Amino acid sequence: MKSRRKMAHRHRWRAAVLAKILMLFTLASGQISRAESPHDIVAFLSVQGFEKFSASDPMLEESNIHSTADFLYTYNSDRFRFLGEFIWSDSEAEMERLQAAWVIDDQTLLWFGRFHSISNYWTTEFHHGQYLQTSISRPGLEEWEDASGPAPSHVTGALFQHDFVLENQSALNFAFAAGIAPKFEGQQLVAFDVFDPASGHDLAVTGRLTYRPEVLSMNQIGLTISHNDIAVDSDSNPALSDLNSIRQATLGFFTNWHWDKWRVLSNWMYFDIDMQYGSGTVNDRFLLGYVQAEYEASEDWTIFGRTELGDDEDDSTYLSLLPAVVAHRHMLGVRWDFADRHGLTFEIADTSQQADSPQHDSFKEARIQWSAVFR
Amino acid sequence: MRRVGSQVLLVLAMMLSMTASWADDAVVLVCANDGPIADISSLEVRKTYLGISVRIAGIPVRPVRQRDDDRLNLIFLQSVMAMSQKSYERRLLSMMLKYGTPRPAEVDDREEMIDTLERNPYAVGYMWKSDAESDPRVRTIKVLWQKL
Repeated sequence: MKSRRKMAHRHRWRAAVLAKILMLFTLASGQISRAESPHDIVAFLSVQGFEKFSASDPMLEESNIHSTADFLYTYNSDRFRFLGEFIWSDSEAEMERLQAAWVIDDQTLLWFGRFHSISNYWTTEFHHGQYLQTSISRPGLEEWEDASGPAPSHVTGALFQHDFVLENQSALNFAFAAGIAPKFEGQQLVAFDVFDPASGHDLAVTGRLTYRPEVLSMNQIGLTISHNDIAVDSDSNPALSDLNSIRQATLGFFTNWHWDKWRVLSNWMYFDIDMQYGSGTVNDRFLLGYVQAEYEASEDWTIFGRTELGDDEDDSTYLSLLPAVVAHRHMLGVRWDFADRHGLTFEIADTSQQADSPQHDSFKEARIQWSAVFR
Repeated sequence: MRRVGSQVLLVLAMMLSMTASWADDAVVLVCANDGPIADISSLEVRKTYLGISVRIAGIPVRPVRQRDDDRLNLIFLQSVMAMSQKSYERRLLSMMLKYGTPRPAEVDDREEMIDTLERNPYAVGYMWKSDAESDPRVRTIKVLWQKL
């Protein structure tokens, strides 16, 4: 078991180093002309300063600086599309997405590979492009697996997407995905690793329906549904010792709407979870969601705030296995866009994370971030 | 007398420069002179510049942008796309990030734009009307914007 992990780790690092060299070479060489090349590459860079203070448990207080480079590469031809997203930060180097599509027609794509789960709205709207999201933090509901996200973020398999453009120029987008789900290890979900295919993962099936009242507009509302069979590594955490598997079903509603200078982003997800212990099944149901409002005070300044709430999440058995998951957060922030494609953002939040009791751990957060995109 | 003469010359020079500026105050959509695109609707222009596929005779239209003229780009984005530069750039990046959608080709100047159009019969670009009229290698498909 250990040697398999070591080998997978070695493979992962080789792939990561190779990808870094290729991407740095591509960026440095400047050989890709946007005029006629089917290749395209952009880099999202960010540096974030973070301070956690006034914590209910002083041990939780911390401050750090975190830098991230996210490289996106695409290749397009008439019938084929390729997309790779590689993240390189001071804590990880990982191929986040690696997917190839058969372009069936202009409205229909069939992707194969590793992609972000379509049941997580924020995740599929911003991916790792920190510059494109107004806020610095992500909602707890939509955190990545390795940051105690409660739902799978990465699925490896097939993804079908189809756009129906109606006569009145409104649009319906239908997406369906099936693939390999993350598994539960330690105190988090762990995405499937293609370099360790025997690592024991089960199936994830997700669907999404999106309505846009105007095909050219970004305004949209939609529904998501998912069923995830999550395998459990019972040896990785004493709290998992009697837990055999987790069946997670979700139903979500999201919106992203602009009115003049205002924008509202919201996603609410209802979880119905069966936790299959050796001694029997525990059913766990709860709701998590958030509303983020943004006001564009001028071309360069945006004021924003987000509240993250839930229902029945305080007593959730499943969430108690994810002690770092953010259960509640009330956040305010301001962003300044400058020099074409740079952003400077400040955020302050009153936050509580799940911990392993209904009391939660509470603390304040302050973040400051520079983000940019290079293309 | 000499002073009056120089003033008249100055006024004439100003009028000439204004005439040139007025002639520039129209933006047109162009393709290669021998290109097959005869007509394209305003909605299709917006779609193709947002990365949404538009086909003519079954062939995808290739949009091209010119980087070196800020005023031309500003008028195109405000009057045709109804977006700010920031919103437009974000939209293209967002489509690329989400779906791998190709962004419009970008060229450095008008000469490179014309070369690109000549190489791709289904490519379209936008430029000042006066520039389009003075170059036989391109053909105007439609007027996108005109100063009233």
